[in-house]
Amino acid sequence: MPSGNVLSYIVPMRDHIQLQINSDILKIRGQDAFLTLSDFLRRRRGLVGTKIVCSEGDCGSCSVLCGVVGDSGMQYQPIDSCIRFMFQLDGVHIVTVEGLKQNGELSCVQQAMVDCHGSQCGFCTPGFVVAMTALQQNRPANQPASESELREGLTGNLCRCTGYSSILEAGAVAAEQSDSASLVPAFELSPDARRVPIEVTATCGDAKHRVYSPTTVAEAVDFLSRHSEAEVKIVAGATDLGVQFNKGHIAPSDWLDLNRVAELEKCEIEDGCMVFGARATWTDVLLLAESTVPELYQVMKVFGSPQIRHVGTIGGNIINASPIADSLPFLFVCDAELTITSASGERTVNINEFYSGYKQMDLTKGELLTSIRVPLPPANRNLRLYKVSRRHDMDISTFTGAVWMELDGEQIANVGIAYGAVGPTVLRLKQTEEFLRGKSFTIETMTAAGDVAVKEITPITDVRGRSDYRFQLARNVLKKYYYQIEQEESQSVA
Amino acid sequence: MPSVGKTIPHDSATGHVTGAAPYLDDMPLRNDELLVGFVGSPVASGKLKNIDCSAATAIPGIVAIYTSHDVPHNKFGALFHDEPVLAENELLYVGQPVAIIAAETPEALATARKLVKIDYEETKPILSIDESLTAKRFIGPLRKIQRGDATSAIKSATHQLSGEFRIGGQEQFYLESQAAIAFPGEEGQLIVHSSTQNTTEIQVVVAEVLELGQHQVVCICKRMGGAFGGKESQAAIPALMAAIVASKTGRAARVIYTKDEDMCVTGGRHPYLVRWQVGFDDAGLIQGLRYEFYSDGGAAADLSTAVMERTMLHAENAYYISDIEIQGQVCFTNYPPNTAFRGFGGPQAVAAMENVVERIAGHLGEDAYDIRTRNVYGVDDRNVTPYGQLFTRNHLPEIFESLAESSDYKRRREEIAAFNAVDPMQLRGIAMTPVKFGISFTSKFLNQANALVNVYTDGTVQVSTGGTEMGQGLNTKIRQLTADELGVPYEDVLVMPTSTEKSNNTSPTAASAGTDLNGAAAVDACRKIKTRLAEFAASLLASVEDGLVPSPDHIVFENGIVFDQRKPAAKLEFGNLADRARRERVDLGARGFYKTPGVDYNRETGRGNPFLYYTQGAAVSEVLIDRFTGEMSVPRVDLLMDIGKSINPGVDMGQIAGGFIQGMGWATMECLIYDEAGKLLSHSPTTYKIPAITDTPLEFNCAMFPNEDNIHNIRRSKAVGEPPLLLGVSAWAAVRHALSHLTDDSSELDLTLPATGEEILRCITSLTQNGQADS
Ligand SMILES: Cc1cc2nc3c(=O)[nH]c(=O)nc-3n(C[C@H](O)[C@H](O)[C@H](O)COP(=O)(O)OP(=O)(O)OC[C@H]3O[C@@H](n4cnc5c(N)ncnc54)[C@H](O)[C@@H]3O)c2cc1C
Ligand code: FES
Ligand code: FES
Repeated sequence: MPSGNVLSYIVPMRDHIQLQINSDILKIRGQDAFLTLSDFLRRRRGLVGTKIVCSEGDCGSCSVLCGVVGDSGMQYQPIDSCIRFMFQLDGVHIVTVEGLKQNGELSCVQQAMVDCHGSQCGFCTPGFVVAMTALQQNRPANQPASESELREGLTGNLCRCTGYSSILEAGAVAAEQSDSASLVPAFELSPDARRVPIEVTATCGDAKHRVYSPTTVAEAVDFLSRHSEAEVKIVAGATDLGVQFNKGHIAPSDWLDLNRVAELEKCEIEDGCMVFGARATWTDVLLLAESTVPELYQVMKVFGSPQIRHVGTIGGNIINASPIADSLPFLFVCDAELTITSASGERTVNINEFYSGYKQMDLTKGELLTSIRVPLPPANRNLRLYKVSRRHDMDISTFTGAVWMELDGEQIANVGIAYGAVGPTVLRLKQTEEFLRGKSFTIETMTAAGDVAVKEITPITDVRGRSDYRFQLARNVLKKYYYQIEQEESQSVA
Repeated sequence: MPSVGKTIPHDSATGHVTGAAPYLDDMPLRNDELLVGFVGSPVASGKLKNIDCSAATAIPGIVAIYTSHDVPHNKFGALFHDEPVLAENELLYVGQPVAIIAAETPEALATARKLVKIDYEETKPILSIDESLTAKRFIGPLRKIQRGDATSAIKSATHQLSGEFRIGGQEQFYLESQAAIAFPGEEGQLIVHSSTQNTTEIQVVVAEVLELGQHQVVCICKRMGGAFGGKESQAAIPALMAAIVASKTGRAARVIYTKDEDMCVTGGRHPYLVRWQVGFDDAGLIQGLRYEFYSDGGAAADLSTAVMERTMLHAENAYYISDIEIQGQVCFTNYPPNTAFRGFGGPQAVAAMENVVERIAGHLGEDAYDIRTRNVYGVDDRNVTPYGQLFTRNHLPEIFESLAESSDYKRRREEIAAFNAVDPMQLRGIAMTPVKFGISFTSKFLNQANALVNVYTDGTVQVSTGGTEMGQGLNTKIRQLTADELGVPYEDVLVMPTSTEKSNNTSPTAASAGTDLNGAAAVDACRKIKTRLAEFAASLLASVEDGLVPSPDHIVFENGIVFDQRKPAAKLEFGNLADRARRERVDLGARGFYKTPGVDYNRETGRGNPFLYYTQGAAVSEVLIDRFTGEMSVPRVDLLMDIGKSINPGVDMGQIAGGFIQGMGWATMECLIYDEAGKLLSHSPTTYKIPAITDTPLEFNCAMFPNEDNIHNIRRSKAVGEPPLLLGVSAWAAVRHALSHLTDDSSELDLTLPATGEEILRCITSLTQNGQADS
């Protein structure tokens, strides 16, 4: 139980962010803390090698390496600097494309990109060099990245010129080399500095900005309760908020930044459940899912891009409340339980009861989503997840779905179905489930279930697809499910 | 060592990988620099009644707001002078620039933008080719190319088919959005840095609009972060905005479009409606073909009529068709003017033709490949194009054969049929499509270029041309050509920024002809200098005692060394020679010039020799489709291109792979989606999907078809920029092949382009008759 507002008075505060950019150690105060990292690099530091194309995390041209202290020293991951706020970067080491040369020479990734014609117009190139460097950094020394790892590792970077084949070639050449770039952080935050909350304020004309960056849930909810009058934006990975900010849809004066709250990072199996802190990143979730729920792993692998997955969080996905959020159909059919915390205590809610309309949910001011508990689907559930999008990778869904069935011989003993992008919220298809329960598992049944399913949904026509396409997908996914299970069974028999 | 023919990295590669190669917005802000943005039309069509800027002007940090009244000469246009710089009385498309705002800070600019009030009366817009056909709103005249009597040939043929084919648009999606920075100079002069494929056009347009002499305007372009045609004419508006502000305020002015703005207000590849009618015999040999091409030109002419011309000149793609009639008409719509995009009307023509071939194959139940080989242009006969040009050096039949073999086409096609017959989950398809792309501008006067070569006294060389570098490797090739011509190391040559001050009256870097034209001009300049130096060197290397009289014809320039062939032991270093030549008052600079010989085309009669030669090729694509979702991937592509004798195989391979993937994107995934009011909804990479790295085929075999017979062109090379893009159609045709397994007569199958997952599922649903109407 958080213990009220005493905390903030006894704990000392810091009024600045401290980080390293390439070889410079910087303290960030005032207005600069509210800039995006890319603006800070380009406008304040003259580091114009980092390019801006979309300002929405979708092209990777603005990629930089972000080093965070982990269990085994500094861990460097690529992030999109256009949707990262400076106030989220306390204690990190940012390496831009300008910081990658090794003793004045091109790094092996840079050299390989030159030799293999990996650049044409060159605008995407700094982003690719950064993303490729990270791939190489994070591999065991004598295990070069495979072609599929290269491809998957570079899905966050768009190139319009090369058709990517020369880039893949460069990646393969660089992967063969053992001497990955050495990135040396020159500073580390003291344990004391890491423990204290940070509050940075700035005045710009009439506007006042404040960001509060606590280190515990207690401090966080305490802050919320003390500022119930203000419109405080809670920020986790900012992969949704950063885009909204850049496109002028939000301009909050107060931010509550969760990036330093370590207790929200949990991501483990506990009592037959996956338990996630709200700020578990998709990279963490993937790692856990790979060995426990392969089906989740498969569909989350194409969630955004590496840059997005390194910072985007499961909590952000849930609270952003989009009917096309990729995690939701899975969480729905698994009856995930959300823990919500405020200064006055904790409560839990089944995710199936959480949303009441488009972006409407059972969460009030002063409340924080703190954890998510997902019972592991039993082996006999035959869980299948679907994500249909225009492009296989790095795309927002046109349709999402989760289906499981427990079969008793030929009979459907129990079933769970949830669809996304077919209405204002992700939907549990209760009538279709009801229809299927007790029926025999045949293609005729699944086809008939499609007739029920399309009556439960209300898809619209939008930029990602027409409503009739979504209606058809709602039918077809059920049939596809049938053939998938059927094929699997015939394979396991064979 | 000669550098031509070698794979040399892009001349800015090191700058690219270190972030040190600057683009326009990377230039440091000058102290006085203003940020310039604009306010666009809220509607696709309307009468502009009033613009109220008072509230916006009052914002601190706003320096000026200009409307059409402030623009001295408010009209411009690449071909027709029909486009207002800022909207005057009429609002023509959503986002059309109405007012320009010059601000001290981005924050002030953002605030002011929201406060400019546009008062207008909305009128009914034209938002499709069909609506424009009904309203009869056209741009330019109806054009025709005709040979024989197509109508009666179709009528008397054994089989007839006809239909309508729809082709979607495409956004260039260069990564660097439109950008320009203008600096005011003395006496009304302006220096405009522009991300443009056409420095001369920027210079001319800025001069006209500001009523300056062309000599008062310099336009410079160092590099572009991609262009693909999108900066051939449409770099003009941003450059004009910067120039207007710089000229009126006397301060530096910067215009950088955001990606969203860029996509909303600039045009792209033209959507087409194609009406076709074909007659053919039992073997699928085409007897007669009629086409009506209608393109969506948008709200101003831009380059649309020229684009349509290239469509018409590629309407038969790679096939000899004795009786053919091709009509083309550009339609007016209330969208941003569509414009040049790699292929320039050619891709739509190829798609239309391959659609016809696929339908013939479907009707006869034959392999479309066989229909193609039967109709392909002949080498010794059946080799005259509909517009009367003799197609010489036709390598298509060899390319077909060689590619069919290397890709194992026939065997794979059989395997695919067997797979499709039994697999309940997936469908596969395979197809080969060819390309024959005419090289040269179809406007004769554009086929010229000039270059400036300066040799310095240490033997190093600077070369400048009117060609612009957009990533295609033009500068690398010009460097190679110059170095070899002067016999100096590649490193001793630098290509300088493109500037109207050095190269005047230039053509756009377009039509794939950048190297052909500018490379030839650079070589011409080098030859002039060489002639002078050879004469001087001859006098130095002559030797009375050996009985050698001075003979410039015997002077050789090689590896930075100059010598007399008759006495190779006596060597002069190139730098030393240059230094001594200067002291003897030999001119070490030269201007080169080149004009393409023998090209001419009469668009009134639809006849002539528009092209110097044809770049040729073919590709085999295989696709894999999910029967339930329509999702599609391209696991394998084999591609063979005849690009003559490559100047830089590494660079050219990049053009081939990149062009193909861009074409595949157009043919299979990229979709511009508008709302009913004509506003673009897919205006950023979140919603507009270009191919990502995982869309590159896992097996992607690109090869060059070796030949040295392109004797008319520089170093026997061939242009490569655009042609591979047109092979992206093979992926679309492969989808069609996959779907043909769901029906007995696939000639009825109506697959539009692009073949997106949604479009594929629509076809699957209608073919399998299981589509229930739900909505
Ligand atoms: C390029 C790109 C690709 C993407 N691809 C996908 C995709 O494939 N699939 C998909 O589903 N999504 C995708 N997204 C959306 C986004 O990445 C996800 O929704 C992500 O999980 C959001 O997490 P975040 O931590 O970044 O959220 P933030 O942006 O930090 O926050 C999102 C919302 O949640 C609130 N919030 C965050 N944490 C809490 C908390 N603990 N308590 C209360 N409120 C909280 C915030 O106030 C905000 O309203 C993509 C986004 C981008 C930019
Ligand atoms: S600019 Fe496109 S991801 Fe940041
Ligand atoms: S090299 Fe131009 S976008 Fe990649």
